[in-house]
Amino acid sequence: MFTTACQEQLLPGETLQQKWEFAQSAGYGAIELRGRGDFHFRSRLPELRRALADGVVMPTVCVEMPHFLGAFDAELRRDAVEQMTSQLSVIGELGGRGAMTPASYGMFSRRLPPFEPPRSEAEDREVLLEGLTELGEHARREGVCLFLEPLNRYEDHMVNRLGQAVELIRETGLDSVRIGVDSYHMNIEEADPPAALLAAAPHIGHAQVSDSNRFQPGAGHLDWPAWLGALDAAGYDGELALECRLTGDPVEAVRSVPAFLARAAA
Amino acid sequence: MSAAASAAAASARTAPGAYGDRAASAPPPHRFPGRDERDRLRRGAHRVLLGNWTGASTVPSHGLYPHQWSWDSAFVAVGLRHLSPVRAQREVETLLGGQWADGRIPHIVFNSRVPYGAYFPGPDFWRSSTAGAAALGGPGAPRCVETSGIVQPPVHALAAWLVHLADPAASRRRGFLARVRPRLAAWHRYLAERRDLGGGGLAAAVHPWESGMDNSPCWDGPLARVAPAAPGSFRRADLAHGAAADRPTDLDYGRYVALAAAYRDHGYRDADAPHPFAVEDPSFNSLLIVSEYALGAMTRELGGDPAPHRERAAALTEALVRRLWSAEAGQFLCRDLRGGDGTGGRTGRVAGRGAAAGDGAGDTHVAPPGALVAERSAAGLVPLIAPGLPAHVTDALLRTVTGDHFGLGTRVRLLPSYDLRGTAFDPYRYWRGPAWFNVNWLLERGLRRCGASDHADALRAGVLGAAASSRFAEYLDPYTGTGRGTRDFSWTAALALDLLKGPDSGQECGEEVQPGAITSMSRAETPREPPAPSSESPRHMSPAHEPPPNPPPSPSPESTESEEGP
Repeated sequence: MFTTACQEQLLPGETLQQKWEFAQSAGYGAIELRGRGDFHFRSRLPELRRALADGVVMPTVCVEMPHFLGAFDAELRRDAVEQMTSQLSVIGELGGRGAMTPASYGMFSRRLPPFEPPRSEAEDREVLLEGLTELGEHARREGVCLFLEPLNRYEDHMVNRLGQAVELIRETGLDSVRIGVDSYHMNIEEADPPAALLAAAPHIGHAQVSDSNRFQPGAGHLDWPAWLGALDAAGYDGELALECRLTGDPVEAVRSVPAFLARAAA
Repeated sequence: MSAAASAAAASARTAPGAYGDRAASAPPPHRFPGRDERDRLRRGAHRVLLGNWTGASTVPSHGLYPHQWSWDSAFVAVGLRHLSPVRAQREVETLLGGQWADGRIPHIVFNSRVPYGAYFPGPDFWRSSTAGAAALGGPGAPRCVETSGIVQPPVHALAAWLVHLADPAASRRRGFLARVRPRLAAWHRYLAERRDLGGGGLAAAVHPWESGMDNSPCWDGPLARVAPAAPGSFRRADLAHGAAADRPTDLDYGRYVALAAAYRDHGYRDADAPHPFAVEDPSFNSLLIVSEYALGAMTRELGGDPAPHRERAAALTEALVRRLWSAEAGQFLCRDLRGGDGTGGRTGRVAGRGAAAGDGAGDTHVAPPGALVAERSAAGLVPLIAPGLPAHVTDALLRTVTGDHFGLGTRVRLLPSYDLRGTAFDPYRYWRGPAWFNVNWLLERGLRRCGASDHADALRAGVLGAAASSRFAEYLDPYTGTGRGTRDFSWTAALALDLLKGPDSGQECGEEVQPGAITSMSRAETPREPPAPSSESPRHMSPAHEPPPNPPPSPSPESTESEEGP
């Protein structure tokens, strides 16, 4: 049975403690934090330490920035790596497992005009390996992991499938770089999502869940029993972190997810 | 051990009774796996089923069996329903996509992406889309998908119903039953109208592969009349993936090829084909019985009248007992419709209690055609799954399961496919002795539905332990539990998963039977049927021939509704 986590912005309440109270009542076992840029996440440390002392479980942070480690612009890329370095340190201090980032988000899509990115595939790969290696080594020192999240083709042009992430991770040779899988992106990109989970099994470090339409699990048409069964068979025992849009009454939508996932994984 | 077997016990490996000594030490009862073991087993079974999924159906194994097999798919769906009800539904739907216009479900639906040479006999041998084409007066093979032309045991309706029960809401949303029920009904109609070759109400198999138990010693006699195809005229593909000692012999294979080619060359038209091999198999027909009840349950679920299905199931049950029961053997036997001297006698003698007795020859009734085959196969015990057997039959079957010939719980943990004391017993060779998981899954259901829950529990534990320790082997040496054949075999994983989910009543389709049908039937039988030499005489069998008067329609507490929802 997986523990379900909920990203903090989806939970009702002003403080992490209030959000945690609701989360627990709905059957969640953890909260996934969101890490903004400009070292905002680090600036929350006093708040996060208090929440930790009050028993809030916060194993992971998901980046929330306008640029990422695969940015075309060298300066933005450097900033992204510095921000992630900081976020890895913070989540390590909180006793968490790691921080999640895509290669990029919203920067370029080969499926939308102008179709041809300004950088070659070889250069993309070089940039990604450089960033992943630097962050992975830092994560290892902090005792946490960097989770690389493949996004669908409309949101990123570099890492869309688990197999691509596995190839990069193997190249770094670092156990501290792992895949953060996301059911929504996988549904678009993988020919057989459960088979893709099994193929990437040793490298999976984190899992985010939303349905085929990016709404909460249960609101779309994903084959959840098969997806969760594969994740379990892959040996994954981390959280299922809810990252989604909500349809219907938002509070009820959030409340519905742990029971839905538990039933699907039964 | 019989005298003949004793005499030969010390001789060569395949000699009669050569394995009798191994029976001296009874296997310890298998402990039911603990939680960690169950978790590992579940994950392992999931890995196998996800790995063998090809997008719309499951291959039995990627190397040895790279296409969709009919009864494999049904058993796979039974387990896959616990992992993904939607995939389990698609498994059944995909198989039915290969159904012929005359209703037959072919035993293989070929994957067009797999090279022809990967399996023999492949699409270029069967040539279904041409040889079986409706345009040429044939039975209407699909035009766009290649299949074989023979069938396998009709376990599909049972599987489809169990798949529905795993997630009735998803099933209704997808219109699963509404789509598959008419096709399954057509399948049963095909068997009733085109395959009652003996005229007695049972379906006949016209090729050993149709029984699912390809090289069972039961077929040695009937096959001996078949001239084999020349050794150089075909090339086996199975030996590239399996040890020759675990597989059927070349001579048997030559006969399989000759039979299939003859059927093909008659356009797969049952009325025209000579069918030199024609047998009534108790396992095949008891699966048809259970599936007929399942069709009834589906029909009721869809708002129709289940009574015709129940009546057909009851008639099949009556015919099964009348034609294939051997009181002498204490089990059902196969009937060789082309064998015997026309008197309906046996082709040989089965060792057992009352062995001097005849099998109904000499009574005043017209004997069925052909002859019972004097070989004890696990097929003869599978009818335990069928509701409504006379109590004396059930009792005798239970004794035979645990007796000297099959030794369940004393000499072996899993039921062997063939008589441990039979002259043809071979612990390695396919269906000539090894224990198979589908047969044991069926037996577990049969034991449970008959109330033999201690035996069922022990068998369940044994199956789960063997599935785990053998890495989901295709079959096992029944004595040692050593895996044989291929590994990561789909139905082994699927059926382990089903048993792992917990024992069920074995009566999901059984609402047509009175609650506690077996015991109520036994009360109707007074005095209790003696195991007497003449016990196969129809006058002694009358309770089995007459359905209980006006069975109440109320479902048993363990029927449909109890399983709704996962």
